[in-house]
Amino acid sequence: MATASGAPQPAMDEKARRTRDLLASFYNTDPSAAAAAGAAAPASLARPSPTAAPASPLDSINSTSFDPEIYMNVLVQQSNLEGLLQRHVKMAAEIKNLDTDLQMLVYENYNKFISATDTIKRMKTNIVGMEANMEQLLSKITSVQSKSDTVNTSLFDKRENIEKLHRTRNLLRKVQFIYDLPSRLNKCIKTEAYADAVKFFTGAKPIFEAYGDTSFQDCKKASEEAMDLVIQHLQAKLYSDSEPIEARAEAVVLLKQLNFPVDNLKSNLLEKLEDCLLNLQNEPTQASIGDISKTFRAYLIIFPDSERRLIELAQALFSNRYETVRENLKKRISSTDLLAMLRSLWEDATAIDEVIPEAALPAFSLETTRDIIRQHIATAFLHLQSEISDALVRTNSRPNEKLDESQLQTAMDTSKIKVSQGCIDLLQEFHHLIDGNTELLVKLRDLIIDWIQEGFQDFFQKLDGHFHVLSGRSKSFPQESSALDSVQIDKVPTVLVLILAQLCVYIEQTTIPKVTEELASSFSGGGARSYEYGPPFVPGEICRLYRSSGEKFLHHYINMKTQKISKLLNKRFTTPVWIKHKEPREVNMFVDLLLLEFNGVVSEVKQILPGLIRRHRHSDSTGSTTSSRSNPMREDMLNRSNTHRARSQFLENHLAKLFEQKMEIFTKVEYTQESVISTVLKLCLKSLQEFVRLQTFNRSGFQQIQLDMEFLKSSLKEFVDDEAAISFLLKEVNNAAHERCLDPIPLEPPILDKLINAKLTKIKEQNQNMQ
Amino acid sequence: MQGGSSGIVYGGLKYQARCISDVRADAGSTTFLAGTLSLKEENEVHLIRLSPAESELVCDGLFYHPNEIWDLKSCPFDHRVFSTVYTSGDGYGAAVWKIPEQSGQSNSSQLEQLFELGGHTGKIRRVLWWPLGKHDKLISIDDRNIFLWNIDTSNKSAKLISQGSADMLPNLRGGAWDPHNHNSIAAISDSSLHLWDLRSMDKSIAIEHAHIRDVDYNPKKQNIIATAEDEFGIRLWDLRRLKHPLKDLPGHSHWTWTVRHNPEYDELLLSAGTDSTVNLWLVQVSSNDSGPDSPGSPKRQEEPLLNSYTDYEDSIYGIAWSSHDPSLFASLSYDGRVVLESVKPYLQRK
Repeated sequence: MATASGAPQPAMDEKARRTRDLLASFYNTDPSAAAAAGAAAPASLARPSPTAAPASPLDSINSTSFDPEIYMNVLVQQSNLEGLLQRHVKMAAEIKNLDTDLQMLVYENYNKFISATDTIKRMKTNIVGMEANMEQLLSKITSVQSKSDTVNTSLFDKRENIEKLHRTRNLLRKVQFIYDLPSRLNKCIKTEAYADAVKFFTGAKPIFEAYGDTSFQDCKKASEEAMDLVIQHLQAKLYSDSEPIEARAEAVVLLKQLNFPVDNLKSNLLEKLEDCLLNLQNEPTQASIGDISKTFRAYLIIFPDSERRLIELAQALFSNRYETVRENLKKRISSTDLLAMLRSLWEDATAIDEVIPEAALPAFSLETTRDIIRQHIATAFLHLQSEISDALVRTNSRPNEKLDESQLQTAMDTSKIKVSQGCIDLLQEFHHLIDGNTELLVKLRDLIIDWIQEGFQDFFQKLDGHFHVLSGRSKSFPQESSALDSVQIDKVPTVLVLILAQLCVYIEQTTIPKVTEELASSFSGGGARSYEYGPPFVPGEICRLYRSSGEKFLHHYINMKTQKISKLLNKRFTTPVWIKHKEPREVNMFVDLLLLEFNGVVSEVKQILPGLIRRHRHSDSTGSTTSSRSNPMREDMLNRSNTHRARSQFLENHLAKLFEQKMEIFTKVEYTQESVISTVLKLCLKSLQEFVRLQTFNRSGFQQIQLDMEFLKSSLKEFVDDEAAISFLLKEVNNAAHERCLDPIPLEPPILDKLINAKLTKIKEQNQNMQ
Repeated sequence: MQGGSSGIVYGGLKYQARCISDVRADAGSTTFLAGTLSLKEENEVHLIRLSPAESELVCDGLFYHPNEIWDLKSCPFDHRVFSTVYTSGDGYGAAVWKIPEQSGQSNSSQLEQLFELGGHTGKIRRVLWWPLGKHDKLISIDDRNIFLWNIDTSNKSAKLISQGSADMLPNLRGGAWDPHNHNSIAAISDSSLHLWDLRSMDKSIAIEHAHIRDVDYNPKKQNIIATAEDEFGIRLWDLRRLKHPLKDLPGHSHWTWTVRHNPEYDELLLSAGTDSTVNLWLVQVSSNDSGPDSPGSPKRQEEPLLNSYTDYEDSIYGIAWSSHDPSLFASLSYDGRVVLESVKPYLQRK
């Protein structure tokens, strides 16, 4: 099967391969391979297989072990006549080919042999006569040699003479050069070819050193003078800024070659530069940084070893300039101005950096800028805080003198505006910091955002602390209270506390959301540093802080007011001897004082706190209805009780209380005028009741209290709409007096009315007189 | 009048009342003495005992007292002896009384007056016993003076030893005797607190500009006092450093009338006020504290108010811890209601 497809392939190469094999065997290059091939052939032949049969005779025919007998036999056995005939034709053609090939080879070899013989014949003829020529050559060469020797010996003396003469001539030339040197140098100076001059002079220098004191004295002096001139010129050249840098550098090199003390020059120059830089600091307009950087570059080239000094200079320059910026910070400059300064500094720094990168100016600038911006932010917050504080203190110092109507309100508004506008302004300021596209700011952006957020957090916390100090509540800030000495703390105006309370609410409800929003919209990002404690600005925390502070202030305000009134009441109730009280003739003066105080509270509160929101009126109304319904009943009871015994009165009061809804006196205070006013009122009336309970009254004393309370009842109506609680408390006072009275017989209603009307008309008259 | 609270109510006082006192000398049970304040009726002193089942307060004795009682203190070493301060008309008096032997009768009986603390010219404010036990001295305070008495209950006699005058101070209001020092009391006036040395009757260090209503010594820790003030609520002080208070507690919505340390758990404070509430506070103070807290820290502290008992109809002027069972206290509101409450639920939370 292999042959069916493989047969045509070997048949194609058949001829070429055989020729090669034949040639190989002829030259016997590879007898072993041929032998192997021969050995293989009989092996395949030994196996009588029909498919291998036509190939085997072809293989074996070229081998050494070819056996014509077997070949013939196989051929005859396997092929028919036609096949045999074909093979015969083919074989005959092959034999013919082989014959021609052989003939060709023989012919070629013969030709070569012929030409070789010819060559040998020619060589034989040429070689004859060579020997004689050689001998002739030898004799000629010996004669040449002898002649040259004679010439050499005869010329030897003269040559030495010539050499001596040559040396003398050279020496003379040198001496001539030295004698010419001064004039030559002068010529050089004239043409400003200082380099040549220096070259000449240094060339002559050894000679001067050797013989300068003797033969060449004048010459040396003259040339040294010339050289001094050269040095002067070179120095001048070095110092003049107008010369090209290369020329100046060359001058330095030349000077150095002349062993001139260059270091002095260098330090002189650098000092000059320092002065120049100092001037720049003082009057920054005079020289641009470009010039400076150029100078730096020049000096670097001129004095390659001066780098360290230059770096120091540059650093000093920049640290000085940043110092001035820092100083400016104290004057509270705007962000844009600051930025402009910083930007120009940054640009300068980069400019210089190109010249001397080793000074690491950008890093230094970045560092310093960071510090400065941080400081700027901090001072901005500090200023805002002190401004707010100033505004508050100013308002609280004024109203003491004259209590104008809307003055408090305006004070409130200004402080509100101060806070919110201040925050917004601050944010806008900081916006500039962020918005700049300078490389510098981009690097710092995240940090700045962090600082701003941190700053706000800190600011609000500090402001809260400051509020506490202002309110006098917190005395635990000794470091801050030094500013407001203890005397001032003792008499903190109550108004201020109220303003603070309202301000806290305002900050919590308006400012902080605004700031938060603003921060979120334009100052997001940040987080350059990792915060274990969460984000730097936590509005929730601040809000909580202010809410609680606001409440504290509000309570503090109420507390202060009630304290004041309480003192008044204390005096009223502890001074007279109630048990020997005289018959009431008029409403007691303390009621006037009390009303005056209330008026004060009302006017303060009305100006500062937000107005009426009539929503709790509803909840109060239930109380009011019940108590008003019970009013006449209890009035009757009181009247009737004249005859009753006090014991039953006590029980009746309790019974009455049972049926009355429990009056909530101590409700939560809210940030409304009504809430605050009514709280103050309630607390004061409660105090009144307690004071009454501590005394023992006679009949007149009781009647006095009754009269005062009756008058208060009508007067207090205008202050509050929580009438129920007030009248309840007034009645409680009355009851307390009743209980503490040895002989509780109330005034007759007509007398009561008469006395009250008398008081009212008196007040009216007073008002008219005032007008 | 029954409130919905957990407290045990004693409604036996028929009149208004201001003072209640724990009978410390009665070791066997929780007992209180309460005195009424009635101008026109015959006043009573009630001996109130917690029944053994701890379910109700029973009247263990009812005694008539000739005048209305403004102050009542039980003798700390004899459970049958107590002192009162009273008014009669426009006069004032103070006396020490003895409960008669046959107490326990349902009917009221007369008290035996051991002696009167005479000689006061002004309004008598308080009588103070040395709080922790047997001591032969007694103090009475009036507007202007502090009297120190040597008493002998068996001989029914009291001898005035020394007298201190308030001099330039405003009117005295009351005071407390230092349980750690026989010779020191804290006396409060209208605007200040002074420490008096009873040996020399000299006033020393003071808290100025404070409208103090009541003062109480810490029973366990020396030099710590609590004050109830108008401006600042309740404040705790270290007597060695009176510049700044150790602690500030908000107090009550109206006057904080009185403040008392628990005799056993000195971190527990009880205060009563005219806003008809009793507040229970938890305040940790170490007497070796290096100073007042740093400004920022109070915010981080937990809420000191443990509970506010609000189930009262009227102002509360009297509170007393039971020394027999320190987890109990009795409060007396002006309407004469005694309520016994337990602070156990709050103790466990500590």
